[in-house]
Amino acid sequence: MRILRSGIRKLGRRPATYLTFGLLAGLLALIIIGVATSIGEGGPDPEAQVLLTFPAAYALILQFVIGLGGLFAVIFGANVAGSEWGWGTFKVAVARGESRSRYILMTFASVAAYLIVGILFSVLVGVAAAFIGANIAGIPTDGMTDTETLRDLPEQFARGWYVMTEQCAIGFAVATLARSQLAGIAIGIALYFGETFATIFLPDVVRYLPFNVASAALGSGGAFNGGGDGGPDPLSQGTAMILVAAWLFGSLLVAAVYAERAEITG
Amino acid sequence: MTTAGELALATRDLRKSYGKRVALAGLDLSVPSGVVYGFLGPNGAGKTTTMRLLTGLLHPDAGSIEVLGRPFGRRDRRRLFEVGALVESPSFYPYLNARENLRAMGSSGAKTTNARIEELLELVGLTARAKDKVGGYSLGMKQRLGIASALLSDPKLLLLDEPANGLDPAGIVAMRETLRHLASTGKTVFVSSHLLAEVQVLVDMVGIIAGGKLVKEGSMHDLLHDEDVVRVRVAPDQVPAARAIIAALLLPDPGVIESADETSGWIIARIAAERAGEVNRALADASIYATRLEAGSQLEELFLSLTADEEAGHEGTFQGIR
Repeated sequence: MRILRSGIRKLGRRPATYLTFGLLAGLLALIIIGVATSIGEGGPDPEAQVLLTFPAAYALILQFVIGLGGLFAVIFGANVAGSEWGWGTFKVAVARGESRSRYILMTFASVAAYLIVGILFSVLVGVAAAFIGANIAGIPTDGMTDTETLRDLPEQFARGWYVMTEQCAIGFAVATLARSQLAGIAIGIALYFGETFATIFLPDVVRYLPFNVASAALGSGGAFNGGGDGGPDPLSQGTAMILVAAWLFGSLLVAAVYAERAEITG
Repeated sequence: MTTAGELALATRDLRKSYGKRVALAGLDLSVPSGVVYGFLGPNGAGKTTTMRLLTGLLHPDAGSIEVLGRPFGRRDRRRLFEVGALVESPSFYPYLNARENLRAMGSSGAKTTNARIEELLELVGLTARAKDKVGGYSLGMKQRLGIASALLSDPKLLLLDEPANGLDPAGIVAMRETLRHLASTGKTVFVSSHLLAEVQVLVDMVGIIAGGKLVKEGSMHDLLHDEDVVRVRVAPDQVPAARAIIAALLLPDPGVIESADETSGWIIARIAAERAGEVNRALADASIYATRLEAGSQLEELFLSLTADEEAGHEGTFQGIR
């Protein structure tokens, strides 16, 4: 627990944490305000107005955060894991007699805890932006207090956190194997987008890969992974949820076993 | 618990290779409790590999390690709770300040307290800068914080790799006093360093490694006085005359004068240490008055003589300005 508490404290002081979630929330706010200000100027598709219309806006904002957040989660996970090797702080923990696998897993647990904060923060910024945008566009905001929608939000939030944690674990494991922030981030991003391109050649295989199962678990059919139409047939949500768990725990197992056996030099 | 006379650290036939390159070829170290032990060797001799093996960062191919009187292997990581280490360069989170970094380090391994952190910040002279981010620290400040980090768990055995790196002269003196004080309280300090003059005044025992093997180990006093060397310093313009007088004393083997430097005035001769007085009298009889007279070797000379083969075979040896 000491490592987990310390991990959370460290992430709270880390500029990368604010950069990651600030960028995610900022992008969302910019898009929403952009939609709001262009209404009536022949700008966006009228369907885009739904982004400013409550209660439907809640689900769209959450989907955006979780969808684009998947890429940010990969980067964030790789950043944290890679820096432990790059800065030599993992080496210090090992030399202090700490269990290597426990250190790795607790560090990841602190990252997963921060994903909750990051998603919540981004969603709140998105909702605030949508509220402001709706007022700019003259769209009523009565639906904000729709109890049925608000009741469903926690489950969607939890599901979103679950798949983002899996995507974060992929970046975390890759950076652990690469022992480098930059290499981890680069490979993580390449895997994220590589899955989309791989659908052209291996559609039946790709639907079992981590980012596609994450999309399927959300019931979004790969839409957030750039999959869109023409992608592989998505798995059922139940199967996808199980596969997300397999990728999540598999990635952490690989990272822990690698750290346990690694010869630490440099 | 270790008691007086026990070994704080021992390795037996320790071996480690990186692919085909042999880093350690059967290292046998014996470090008694309560001493400052200097671990010396040329670049690539295996010092850092040894440090990494002693801190569990690497695992040996063969051989054994004992830490504080008990075997230390893959499954004995908790033994390191009683060991503090600074291996290679000090490692920190650059975006945290000194206090936060020590707190973060203290969250792994043996437990530590906030009071201990404050005590160590004071010890290494960083209390006033404890709120500054470590990313902005100088190398010397990072080094001091690294030493504080190694001392977090109040270890019985301290392993320090080049602890004087980046320290200013006052910092080196303060570190020396701290390490001597730790040894006086029964702790064992194992220091690897390239600063031979510093090692000579700091350590009680020395181990010299070359080619992955220990080539000499013993107390600093014994090692230096085992060497039958007399060093005498005269006025530079009197060096040729003094050299001739000492050579005459050494007959029938005047060739054992190792060097006679007409710039510094130092003459080094291979001669029994107890004959230093005889050398002094012979020089005085010729009206040549020594300004310094020392019996025994300097650590640097001993080091170079013991590691000469290694250096000669080292492709990357710095050749100096010609």
